[in-house]
Amino acid sequence: MNSASATDYAAPPAPTFDADSPERIPGNSGIWVGIFCVLVEFLLLFGVYFVARAHHPEAFLTGPDKLVTTAGVTITLLLLTSGYCMVKAVEAIRTDARGATLRWVLLAILLGCGYPIIKFFEIRWNVAHGIDGEAGIFYTTYYYLTLNHLVHVSWGLLGLMWVAVRTALGIYTSQDYSGLEAAAVYWHTTDVIWLVIFPFFYVFR
Amino acid sequence: MKLGHAEKVWLVLVGLTATGAWLAETGHAGWPLTFTVAGLIGFKGRLVIDHYMEMTRANTKIRRVLYAFVTIVPLLVILSHGWGDVLRRLTTIGT
Repeated sequence: MNSASATDYAAPPAPTFDADSPERIPGNSGIWVGIFCVLVEFLLLFGVYFVARAHHPEAFLTGPDKLVTTAGVTITLLLLTSGYCMVKAVEAIRTDARGATLRWVLLAILLGCGYPIIKFFEIRWNVAHGIDGEAGIFYTTYYYLTLNHLVHVSWGLLGLMWVAVRTALGIYTSQDYSGLEAAAVYWHTTDVIWLVIFPFFYVFR
Repeated sequence: MKLGHAEKVWLVLVGLTATGAWLAETGHAGWPLTFTVAGLIGFKGRLVIDHYMEMTRANTKIRRVLYAFVTIVPLLVILSHGWGDVLRRLTTIGT
């Protein structure tokens, strides 16, 4: 049996956050495992989209005409602007401007919450006009992908709320803001995925 | 007022979104729309990855995975438009 000295169980050295290091991992390794899982999941879902499109080209040719483009565009703008706020939050914490960091995170949450609200009204409008999950393969795929994305955005919003609390408590500093940055990169990932979903259902014919 | 880097990127993304909105209302199925949609997905994705996620100065493997995502999807858009019948045959069960 090996004997272990106290130093074997010593805490690892505190991480350093050199924003200019060419090989740095933004946030932390754990969040990237989650992000890669999300990317693989959505690649599979996009596969479903392409297969459905190949089998029912006429449905995907006319499908976007009945959806409310304004809703899709508004969600895009909300997510992009919310993402911009998280860029500013990360910039702010790098200078230890905690008040500004908190304001940017709260603004990101506020804008991000606009997404489920717009989605609620969009779905209500859809259902009122006969566009439910059984209205055809295009709309089934549309609900499948967009509601799945909404779930991931909801997780992101919960993460941002957690980060807002920790920012308010003064936990993040310019030397250690990995939690804040991890939430930011996850939030940007939901942006990247929506930038695919939006043209799939509102633009591409 | 001088715009910072993040503001400029945000403005470009908003402009490209407006282009997408215009295409949604006026676009017709065909190769021009297909290439534009593929280009918008790839370019907007790269903007977010490079400038919002700061991937240009991050771990190479992570950057490559993200770049692959916003390269593969536009390619699939082009393939699905031009070779949808091949995909249909490949994914048809039975005769």
